[in-house]
Amino acid sequence: MRFKFSNYNYNFIGRRKIWYIISAAIILTGIIGFLVSGFNFGIDFLGGSLMEVEFKRELDIAELREVMADSGHPTAILQRTDARQYIIRTLPVNTQEKNEILDNLDEQIGINRPILQNRNVLPTFSRLITRLAMIAVAISIAGILIYVWIRFEVRFAVAAIFALIHDVLITLGFYALFNREINITTIAVILSLLGYSINDTIVVFDRVREDTRTIKNLTYEELVNNSVNKTLARSINTAITTLFPVIVLLIIGNQTLKDFAFGLTIGIVAGAYSSIFIASPILVMWNNRFPKYKR
Amino acid sequence: MRRNKFNIAVVIIFILIIGGAFYYVYPFESSINLGLDLRGGTQLILKATQAVSEDEDPEAVTSEAIDKAMLIILDRVDRLGIAEPLVTKDYSDNIVIQLPGVDDPDRAIEIIGKTAQLEFRVVEAFDAEEGTYELGPVLFTGDRLSRSSAGYDSTGSIVVFLSFTPEGARIFEEVTAQNIGRQLAIVLDGDVKSAPVIRNVISGGDAVIEGIGSLENARDIALVLETGALPVNLVIEETRTVGSTLGQDALNKGIYAGIIGFILIIIFMIAYYKGLGLVSIIGLLVYIFIFWGVISALGAALTLPGIAGIILTIGMAVDANIIIFERIREELRKGKTPYTALNAGFKNAMRTIIDANVTTLITAAALFRFGTGPVRGFAVTLGLGVVISMVTAILLVRAILYLLATNKKIMKPGFLGVKELER
Repeated sequence: MRFKFSNYNYNFIGRRKIWYIISAAIILTGIIGFLVSGFNFGIDFLGGSLMEVEFKRELDIAELREVMADSGHPTAILQRTDARQYIIRTLPVNTQEKNEILDNLDEQIGINRPILQNRNVLPTFSRLITRLAMIAVAISIAGILIYVWIRFEVRFAVAAIFALIHDVLITLGFYALFNREINITTIAVILSLLGYSINDTIVVFDRVREDTRTIKNLTYEELVNNSVNKTLARSINTAITTLFPVIVLLIIGNQTLKDFAFGLTIGIVAGAYSSIFIASPILVMWNNRFPKYKR
Repeated sequence: MRRNKFNIAVVIIFILIIGGAFYYVYPFESSINLGLDLRGGTQLILKATQAVSEDEDPEAVTSEAIDKAMLIILDRVDRLGIAEPLVTKDYSDNIVIQLPGVDDPDRAIEIIGKTAQLEFRVVEAFDAEEGTYELGPVLFTGDRLSRSSAGYDSTGSIVVFLSFTPEGARIFEEVTAQNIGRQLAIVLDGDVKSAPVIRNVISGGDAVIEGIGSLENARDIALVLETGALPVNLVIEETRTVGSTLGQDALNKGIYAGIIGFILIIIFMIAYYKGLGLVSIIGLLVYIFIFWGVISALGAALTLPGIAGIILTIGMAVDANIIIFERIREELRKGKTPYTALNAGFKNAMRTIIDANVTTLITAAALFRFGTGPVRGFAVTLGLGVVISMVTAILLVRAILYLLATNKKIMKPGFLGVKELER
């Protein structure tokens, strides 16, 4: 009994310059977005106060801004989360100041108590969070690098790290372009995209490693290209199945879940893309530079 | 056939594990310990800035002092009648207080943060213009209290009644005897509440604090005095309150997204991988159930990022299956029989799956070690998910497929999701 299959054979590696240009263009767009508007950091990183309030009636953002200015917070950042719900961000406030703001809102517009959510972060604490977040990302990347180095070769580790940096840059670029808030959830997003992206890349690399041992008559470029094609169905199918729940979350989730899903959607697409179009060509380029296998 | 016995054993062990998981999962409603962002409540993070006692170096906040402060805080929170409070310490010695169901935390914050340092000091001089006192050394502190309560004195004004321990009563008697005719200031957290003149020796072991605004205020003071003074000054670094409606809404949406996403995965896997896909769905359901049981058994709190983590692990659990199935198809393409294709497919996929998952585990570990609050919940779900899904895929899915592979009627091209080639 024999079976018929559709067999992929695309030339991924040969056209690597095109993929590099595409990636560079996307990253550059993100950097321009960052230069124009900067990151929209949340109170986790800047410190400050956040209240989500449900009002007794609908109101527009201009009216709310006026009321906030009236209670001494003209710079408050306002975000509509539902017809009658707003997130109000101010500098850190103490209990008394918070109650003044809420009493004023209640008097002038009318609010439902208790309010939906309230957070207050001191700048000192947010600095600690930022530092720990950066340590977590750095340690995570270092750990991955060492593991891949031990299990594979140094070229695989270098290529994987390039792919990871590529994915993080693209994801952060989208945060800047869409002016999405960067908060503690974003750190979770970055770390899970690191996890996803490395997972995806390792599967391709594992195949390259295996083929290097078993296939002898191909150049390294042909061999890597062959391995990428062999793992292509898996790369696509895994991205699709992981994206299913994430996209549902993006559509029906609440604000926090949407924030999470937004970053993950971009991260998963970037992670799947970079394994094929960034990490694998780098392996070949490395071999051209430091030949070890047949060129 | 020895192989078959092994696979039957694996399936039986998984059935036993599912049974064990069921023990923890049932009843469903109370099986998961929901985090504050899902059930509603308040979380406070406090930092000890300096030690209170004068003879110690105020900069040096000892670990023991923080532990003592935590016990006192827990006692205070208990007396406020808050159910299931949680007082813990994080990696940087911050005190983390979780108050489930508290959506208006103002009073709790007031009471938790009060140092409640009660002192009795002789007044050396009184500046009538400024209204300030010049105080002598501390003669007596709140340590020697046995009870305190709020109430009205004979003139009808609000006071806090203090009762001293027997030893305290004796010392208080001495102190008053030595200072007859002088003013004794009652100082609470650096604030002179009253400074009555000592007319005669006070021997009963009782005293009152006057000059208190409201009865509620008096109750709060009585509560904090009875639980004792905090050995450190505390600053509230972060307050986080989520109303129960918002939490419930988030939970529902997370669950809906999970269910819809899962149905889409089922449709995709069966459409693409046919019979193999069906087996992977069984593996996936078992994975979710065991995962639920483990979370429930550990009592780990499920947070909003935790839900997101679970959704991500479902994607990764499917990945293990996809890697295996693609390998099996590839072996079939080389012309192998279904059984040998299974053999080669699993053998080759194993190493890939382990390498890929270990790297994800490294990320989860870094997140757990350095993450704060809800992000930790995410790390826990991600780490557990990776391990459980890996074990399920490489043991259970494999065993089921091998058992099916012995039956030639099942191992048809249709089941394997491939078309037969005409000879």
